[in-house]
Amino acid sequence: MLKVIDVHKSFVGIKALDGVSLEVERGSITGLIGPNGSGKTTLFNVISGFLPKEAGEIYLKGERIDELPPNEVAGKGLCRTFQISQAPEKMTVLENMLLAPKDQMGEGLWNAFFRKKRIMHQERHNLEKALYLLSSVELIDLSNEYAGNLSGGQKKLLALGRILMADPEIILLDEPTAGVNPTLNKSLMRLIEDLRKGGKTFFFVEHNMKVISDICDKVYVLDFGRKIAEGTPGEIQQNEEVLEAYLSGSSREWSRKVGIDT
Amino acid sequence: MIQYLAYLSIMTGIYGILSLSLNLQYGFTGLANFGHVAFFCLGAYTSTILVVLVKGPFILGLLGGMVAAGLFGFLISIPTANLKEDYWAIATLAAAEIVRLFFLNEDWIFGRGPYHGGAFGIGGIPRPLQSWFSATTYPFFYLCIVILCLVLTYFTVRFLTNSPFGRVLKAMREGDDLPLAMGKDVSKFRMKAMAFGGAMGGLAGSLVAHFWSFIDPYQFMPIETFVVWAMVVVGGKGNNIGALVGAVIIQFFYSSTLFLKDFIPIDAQVLASLRMVVIGVLIVLIMLFMKEGLIKEKKRIYQG
Ligand SMILES: Nc1ncnc2c1ncn2[C@@H]1O[C@H](COP(=O)(O)OP(=O)(O)OP(=O)(O)O)[C@@H](O)[C@H]1O
Ligand SMILES: [Mg+2]
Repeated sequence: MLKVIDVHKSFVGIKALDGVSLEVERGSITGLIGPNGSGKTTLFNVISGFLPKEAGEIYLKGERIDELPPNEVAGKGLCRTFQISQAPEKMTVLENMLLAPKDQMGEGLWNAFFRKKRIMHQERHNLEKALYLLSSVELIDLSNEYAGNLSGGQKKLLALGRILMADPEIILLDEPTAGVNPTLNKSLMRLIEDLRKGGKTFFFVEHNMKVISDICDKVYVLDFGRKIAEGTPGEIQQNEEVLEAYLSGSSREWSRKVGIDT
Repeated sequence: MIQYLAYLSIMTGIYGILSLSLNLQYGFTGLANFGHVAFFCLGAYTSTILVVLVKGPFILGLLGGMVAAGLFGFLISIPTANLKEDYWAIATLAAAEIVRLFFLNEDWIFGRGPYHGGAFGIGGIPRPLQSWFSATTYPFFYLCIVILCLVLTYFTVRFLTNSPFGRVLKAMREGDDLPLAMGKDVSKFRMKAMAFGGAMGGLAGSLVAHFWSFIDPYQFMPIETFVVWAMVVVGGKGNNIGALVGAVIIQFFYSSTLFLKDFIPIDAQVLASLRMVVIGVLIVLIMLFMKEGLIKEKKRIYQG
């Protein structure tokens, strides 16, 4: 589904990605972990077209996407969420949801003026879908609230709901559970598993090891921009190199957080 | 007095169109367009060229002015597509000055004869259907034309901002990243907002040229952009009624010198400069105490 080959990306003085290769299989739930600053978000930015890579290749469904702008990557069926909410705050939760669907007729000016009926039909259809999804992420009561008034966790839920409105084939989530309360977290994980059964592919950054081991088929570990391990969640938790990476001073806190025993 | 009121209403209506079109670009799309007067100027000059030189009818001038200004809006959004907001503001400011300086320096356009062009301006621009009315009734007829244009502009902007198209514009107002991640081609939307808003600004320009029947480049100084901004900011950005209310208020202050000079013993010249100070103070007060302007943006409620 998604194939990343030897991707490099550096910022002034730092190699944020140093030859990363990985593959996300169709219909899988794949996790990406690593200490703070290890390059996870950068990898997502490069894959989704928000940052240019310096070297390497990225393929989506066998098609090269590493030269495409982000909107075209999204058009090809890969959507991502942001670690820090980018939700337009002066738009309501519902407006945020309705923004997402691809190929909306009413986004073209000609159609907006001359095909009102069909647009209204499409809008109604999208509205129903939005309300349905909002109830599955438990934001339905906040439908007409400005996105700016949501809590951090609620914004994460909105991001997930919005991306489901766009209905991509592969979904990249950057720390989708940060700030979301534990009970809701569980239902989110169930939602993701259900969607996977429906054919969606997930690739996500997560710090909560419990979440990772509960739902991931495969996990990749980054450290200092390099892939240091890959495998099932069970294998990763035993991996010597992973443990070692986490033993290094700056990562100790993170190791504790994800529950790797140091 | 009633004559003056008609004049004031016409100018308010014309500025109302400018305010609505800037509201589409700034209020809804977040485009810091500091060169809005360029549309006004292009609309006025294009319409004048089409009616005076080409001898076309008023309506041709009107449409031509809109097309020229819309095209200009489209064109300036191409090289500026990747500029950050502050640079974008400066680029549009400069573009507007280029348009004005073009008409200031290229005086060959209007040739010789009664029309001088360049710094001398162009006089004798025909007013539509002037022979049908007397000098006292004509302003009321022209007011009707302006109101018609204003109403059409209002409903067009309202329709656009309520459509799925407008939803993308609103999302872009808070940054490109999210709309991009949702697959929206933001630069295309920006171009359309500039072209559409530009065409409306051109309409206002054409209306002003045929009303004054004289234009010169000094009527299109950057300060005009500032006045339109004041209207949007004071009235309430992102609210079309607000943009209109702002136009009424600012136009009132702008024209108040004509009333005040009878009551306040200040030199007319000083008074004319003072009104800008008044408008400036008004903006500062609004920024401090009513950030969203007099009329807040309306929340869009979708009924399930
Ligand atoms: N735009 C940027 N400019 C300069 N440096 C950057 C930029 N974005 C990221 N970096 C640096 O690149 C490295 C990788 O950052 P990245 O955000 O990808 O880490 P991460 O794994 O997502 O971390 P976290 O767990 O904190 O989200 C860090 O050292 C970071 O400071
Ligand atoms: Mg990150």
